[in-house]
Amino acid sequence: MSVPQVTIQAEGLTKRYRRHRAVDRLSFQVGEGEICALLGPNGAGKTSTMRMLIGLSTPDSGTARIAGTPVRLGAPVLRRVGVLIDGPAFVPHLSGTANLRLLWSVGGGAWPPPALDEALDLAGLGVAVGRRVKGYSMGMRQRLMLAAALMRRPDVLVLDEPANGLDPAEVRALRHHLTDRCATGATVLVSSHQLAEVQQLATHAVVLNHGRLAAAGPLDELVGPHASLEDAYLAMTDGHHDAAL
Amino acid sequence: MLRFELTTQLVRVRTLIALACLAGVPVAAAVPFAGQPGQRNGDESGLFGASPYSAANHAMASLEFLAPLLLPIVVALLACAIASADRDWGVRRYLYVAPVTRERLLAAKLAATALATLIAVAVVMVAGLGAGTVLFGWHRFHLIGAAPLTTAEATGRVVTATGYALLCMLAMAAFAFTLGLLLPRGAEALAVAVGFVVIASIINGQHALHAVAAVLPVHYWQNWVGLFDPAGAHDLALGAAVQLATVVLCVAAGWLVLRHRDPAA
Repeated sequence: MSVPQVTIQAEGLTKRYRRHRAVDRLSFQVGEGEICALLGPNGAGKTSTMRMLIGLSTPDSGTARIAGTPVRLGAPVLRRVGVLIDGPAFVPHLSGTANLRLLWSVGGGAWPPPALDEALDLAGLGVAVGRRVKGYSMGMRQRLMLAAALMRRPDVLVLDEPANGLDPAEVRALRHHLTDRCATGATVLVSSHQLAEVQQLATHAVVLNHGRLAAAGPLDELVGPHASLEDAYLAMTDGHHDAAL
Repeated sequence: MLRFELTTQLVRVRTLIALACLAGVPVAAAVPFAGQPGQRNGDESGLFGASPYSAANHAMASLEFLAPLLLPIVVALLACAIASADRDWGVRRYLYVAPVTRERLLAAKLAATALATLIAVAVVMVAGLGAGTVLFGWHRFHLIGAAPLTTAEATGRVVTATGYALLCMLAMAAFAFTLGLLLPRGAEALAVAVGFVVIASIINGQHALHAVAAVLPVHYWQNWVGLFDPAGAHDLALGAAVQLATVVLCVAAGWLVLRHRDPAA
């Protein structure tokens, strides 16, 4: 069996916010065609890790690489990455289409992006995509942001809580889309608290606790003898105290 | 990237309303004198007194009226919005991962701010010239207490005065822009920028505080008016140097703020 090429790589990442060490000497890697779930309790360092991986935050030590290239703010390699981080954000007085056009054009690409139609199909906004974003619901904003991440047909997707605000049918559609993208060689790193959904989606997982690596590997191996990913996760984190109650 | 700033800020209802307010003042100021073109405006002296004599007279009087407060407020509004709106909306992190570098982001914002300032000054001049043309007509530039200016003299002085006023507004824009990058919200930056203009204007009117006023850019903003005074202009070069220094200092400070600010914030 061939070993997948490493696409996302964290090497000894450490990030402090004043005296608090949010991420502590974290190393892991995600290979081509893998869907890796980044798991951990609130405050475990998931979002801080994702920010370092896409250059939005500079690590105090360690290196983040995408496709072998060290990542910094605004690095050209980010053209290959679709991102959803810290929730959706748009220019509120512009339409959904105008926002997608602006977010695409600042990267220097000619309109339309290569996967616009399929991204809009997944977003399922219909005629609402022509309306001003300030009238959108939370779910509509989330779907439009996913469309913004997917419309460039990225090789790498870094998605922070992508299922937030989505209904079950939309979550299923997203899962199918991500699975299809990975089948064609894309790499996905996704953070989520919805462990049942993660168990259906992910091929691999990285579990963080207090900023440190608690476990990493193929999902089947991490679940191991446990009945579910939830049981395995709680056993790996401080949650095992609650699980025992 | 420049297109992003122009699309999100200049083609915006609030921006258009602000520019319409600027344009409305020269029009509203001309209407009461519509029936007496070529006559002095009451007992007023200087540019205000000569306003009904010609379109160019009215345009320069409009600039003198708007330049101390309303024009800088509109310029500050535009500059603060350009500096801070993408961060206030949370969009900046998505610009960085588009990807856009800090250098490109700052360059686009500065270009958009300069363009917005130019548009604001141009709106005052165009509205003044337009209203003056319709209500007073094109005549030689009239000076109270001196001979009218020739076309060449008037053109030279109008261009110099407008350029000087534009430089002063660029200094205001640079100050507001830096505040927009520095402070947590755009509204806070605008409040501080407007407060600065008001306080600096008060200080400027106090003889006892001349030493303080002399280091503030606001102190030199109306120096161009002397170009249309028989006594002549003074301290134009010094005023221009102070405005340029303000622009350079503020842009440098803005770069430092952007460089050290958490991009995910």
